[in-house]
Amino acid sequence: MSQAAPDAGFPLRRRRWQVAAWVWLAIVAAVAVHQWKFWTAGHFDTDVMALLPQDEQAPEVSRATRQLADQFTRQVVVVIGAPDWAAATRAADAWQRAIDVAKPPLKDSALAGSAAMGDLLAFYAPYRDRLLTPAQRSQLEHASAPALAQSALGALVQPGGGSMLSTWNADPLGLWPQWWSARAAGTQARPRDGRLALSADGLEWVVILRDSTQPAFSFSGDSPIADALASAQAAARVAVPGVRVIAGGVPLHSEYAAARAHRETNTIGWGSVTGVLVLVFLAFRSLWPRVLMAVSLLVGVAMALSATSWAFGQVHLLTMVFGASLVGCAEDYGLYYFANRQGAPDVPPLRMMSTLLPGLALALMTSLLGYVALGLPPFPGLRQMALFSVVGIAGAFMTTVCWFPWIDRGSPRQTAFARWIVASLDRYPRFAATRATWGVHAAFALACAVGLARLDVNDDLRQLQSSPPALVDAQRELGRLLGLASPAQFFVVRGTDADDVLRREEALAARLDERVAAGQLAGYAALSDWVPSRERQASDAALTRRVETGVIAAVDQALGESQARAAFAAEPLTLARWLASPVSIAGRALWLGTVPQRDDGAGVASVVMLRGLQDRAALPAIARSADGLPGVRWVDQVQSVSALLGRYRRTMGLLLVAGHAGVLLALALRYGRRAWRAWLPTAIATLGTLALLALFGQPLQLFNVLALALLLGIGIDYGIFLMERETTDAGSAWLAVVLGAASTWLSFGLLALSSTPALRSFGLTLLFGILIVWLVAPCYRPARAACVASPRMAP
Amino acid sequence: MKALARAAAALVLCAAGALQAQTPAAPDAALVRQRLQLAPVLRGEFEQTKTIKGFRNALVSHGEFMVARGQGVWWHTRQPFESTLVVTRTRLFTRAADGSTSNVMDAQTEPGLREVNELVFSLLSADLDALGDRFAITAQAAGASGWTLTLVPRDANVAKFLKSATLAGDRYVQSVRIDEARGDSTQIRFMHQAPSSALSAADAARLQ
Repeated sequence: MSQAAPDAGFPLRRRRWQVAAWVWLAIVAAVAVHQWKFWTAGHFDTDVMALLPQDEQAPEVSRATRQLADQFTRQVVVVIGAPDWAAATRAADAWQRAIDVAKPPLKDSALAGSAAMGDLLAFYAPYRDRLLTPAQRSQLEHASAPALAQSALGALVQPGGGSMLSTWNADPLGLWPQWWSARAAGTQARPRDGRLALSADGLEWVVILRDSTQPAFSFSGDSPIADALASAQAAARVAVPGVRVIAGGVPLHSEYAAARAHRETNTIGWGSVTGVLVLVFLAFRSLWPRVLMAVSLLVGVAMALSATSWAFGQVHLLTMVFGASLVGCAEDYGLYYFANRQGAPDVPPLRMMSTLLPGLALALMTSLLGYVALGLPPFPGLRQMALFSVVGIAGAFMTTVCWFPWIDRGSPRQTAFARWIVASLDRYPRFAATRATWGVHAAFALACAVGLARLDVNDDLRQLQSSPPALVDAQRELGRLLGLASPAQFFVVRGTDADDVLRREEALAARLDERVAAGQLAGYAALSDWVPSRERQASDAALTRRVETGVIAAVDQALGESQARAAFAAEPLTLARWLASPVSIAGRALWLGTVPQRDDGAGVASVVMLRGLQDRAALPAIARSADGLPGVRWVDQVQSVSALLGRYRRTMGLLLVAGHAGVLLALALRYGRRAWRAWLPTAIATLGTLALLALFGQPLQLFNVLALALLLGIGIDYGIFLMERETTDAGSAWLAVVLGAASTWLSFGLLALSSTPALRSFGLTLLFGILIVWLVAPCYRPARAACVASPRMAP
Repeated sequence: MKALARAAAALVLCAAGALQAQTPAAPDAALVRQRLQLAPVLRGEFEQTKTIKGFRNALVSHGEFMVARGQGVWWHTRQPFESTLVVTRTRLFTRAADGSTSNVMDAQTEPGLREVNELVFSLLSADLDALGDRFAITAQAAGASGWTLTLVPRDANVAKFLKSATLAGDRYVQSVRIDEARGDSTQIRFMHQAPSSALSAADAARLQ
């Protein structure tokens, strides 16, 4: 079907178009049904590690990450400190009363009241003989029998000496309380008067643990937890002037982030919606075009979500964020249509659409090309984004093409604003092959070179940290006071069975003890602390049997008694038994259970966590503890997510270059040797944006590159529109470009105002990029005379 | 679980501290405080009788003690074995006959020790409020100058180990009886108690 004879066979085409509209409606209805299910089930994936290439992603590592995150994402920790315990408890009571009134979504932590002491003692008592600390083990191995007997006698006559936890003949050397004391080293907090207490910095602290009952990702703008904590803190201050209250925990950070995102979406979102509405109204004197474009966008996003969840089972939150950028592309099709309708009001909608179809199809194709390129490397995250974008843009395109001619029945109105924009193109400068033009380009190239030379690259995850400094400080302070284990770095230990894992943990623990001795760590949390390996239990049981039998004999002789050593369990304590008992509640998160087998047949795994890391500089030395130990793997979340961001940035950077090449090729198929005119503005904008970012001291990261990929999709559309209509109605195409650029500017450029670092860098990039492509694109439009004669390819 | 070691130490120090004490109470607390004599340093001798489950005979020991307010407790058993227990603000250790020491507890690794110390020293300074937080206290006058105090732990975790402590005395604490929940008991009698106003260099060295 050639453009030259649009009327030939038109009734037939009209019928086909009708069929297409109905078929499209059926498809949209099917998607709508799927969408309803999707939103009620909520299949959003938030695990960053899921974005790693499958072959590199160790399943046990992502399991560990998720399991630890589950434990930490809900916990809120509050410490209340006063010069003496009585004042601290008074402040804590006032705090609690205020919380009771405010009723925030918090409940008592499951960990706070974990297993009662009596249950713990009863559970472990039969295994007392095989539970030793490293210091006890070496003491029993090296001390002489008479010295040990003497120490047992000494304890007997000292006030309160000996083991308070068992009968004397079950623990004549008082080893049992020390073992418990070592278990308790996992936290600085100690039970006191029915509370958790802490002494530090010359103050007495009450420690309060709560779990948030709020969904981890809530999109409401309220911050009920922070508000309640603030009022409770004020109440504590009233009760005890000068009391220190420190609150922390992931829920506070996520609540803050959600509230801020909500606030920003409101200000930025309403700002941009208002701006776009005003623009569209000024240009078309009707809001109908805007409504139609919103419909096309909605259909596009819904289809993209359905397709992605169908293909991947889940939709990653990051895909969603990137996918939101479809707005920019999808809108351009509608604007292009309406601008042209206005330029030629006599042409009926359907005929106008069929005239525009080749250009629209090319714009779609070039956008798709860029996004398909995204899906080439084996990164599941990129593939999701690619599929999402391709389906989303195609959906918006199909809606525009199939439906707009039927829904848009009115005759477009002329407006002074539109006329003014249309007329402005004639006055717009155009580059000719003059010396001045070359000079301008040379100057631009030089400026870009200077800028690019200064471009920094920074993939550090912590740079994306967007919590307010007060919250970050509070978190650090809590970590220091409580000596908490951090979920940011840990070891994963794999083995063929539970006992194998425990044995490997013990080998690791021996090396970590050296790090503890070197002062780099306060300690670590490991399952083998609670359930030693079978081998170790056997050797420790043999050791205590030998030593304690001798000690009891010596004491019997010295005191004229006839005690016999108590009996202990015949079977070793197994991990299965421990996990099945309520005593393991606080430690269960360390056990990963069955993980996919590797070549070495290791199919179960556990986590060993670090406590009280003094300095990140010590991390390499700690990481080396895993060297040469089979099945032990060091995981540094901060470092590996940063590395992941870096790899995505590099890969996407290369794909961006490939995308530009592919787009240029596609343009050449239609425009031949003039293809560069449609492409160059976007290329210039890309380089110029990078240079500007460098000049503004913004380091390059993944989010800038994502924005540049979007810029390619949008910018090329502008070039195509201007090329397409150059002979017939360049002014209308220019109107579409101006409105499209302005609305993209309003919707994404405003993100540059966001205080969320990722959004800010995304927005800033588009702010620069769209501005440049907008200003520059018309400069490269061909001279009118030159193009009249040029050949056109059939669609 | 953390409480166990602490409870153990608390018990040790209930004993060690209480022997010094000028203790607390509710109705007759004022009376007890009035009758007790406070001294920065107190020395004396003791006789301890322990009844432990599984032992046919009671374990009787004799020795000397020294308590320095705010600094520590020195408990030297001479009979039947030479052995010393020292509790300071930062650690709890034993010294054998050969002079070798072994740490039982260290405030660095066992933060609960600080609290234990606080308990000891609140006993020593007759801080009735602080003791009242931890124990239900019954005070009774005995005769013209005597008194008895019964302390029952309020904390359920401590109560699992310590049933009660009973102190009796006049100007000084004359006897302490500790009944453990498991049935063991310790009875301590104090003799030849002598207060002094300052810690001598030799005494200070004993706490090192």
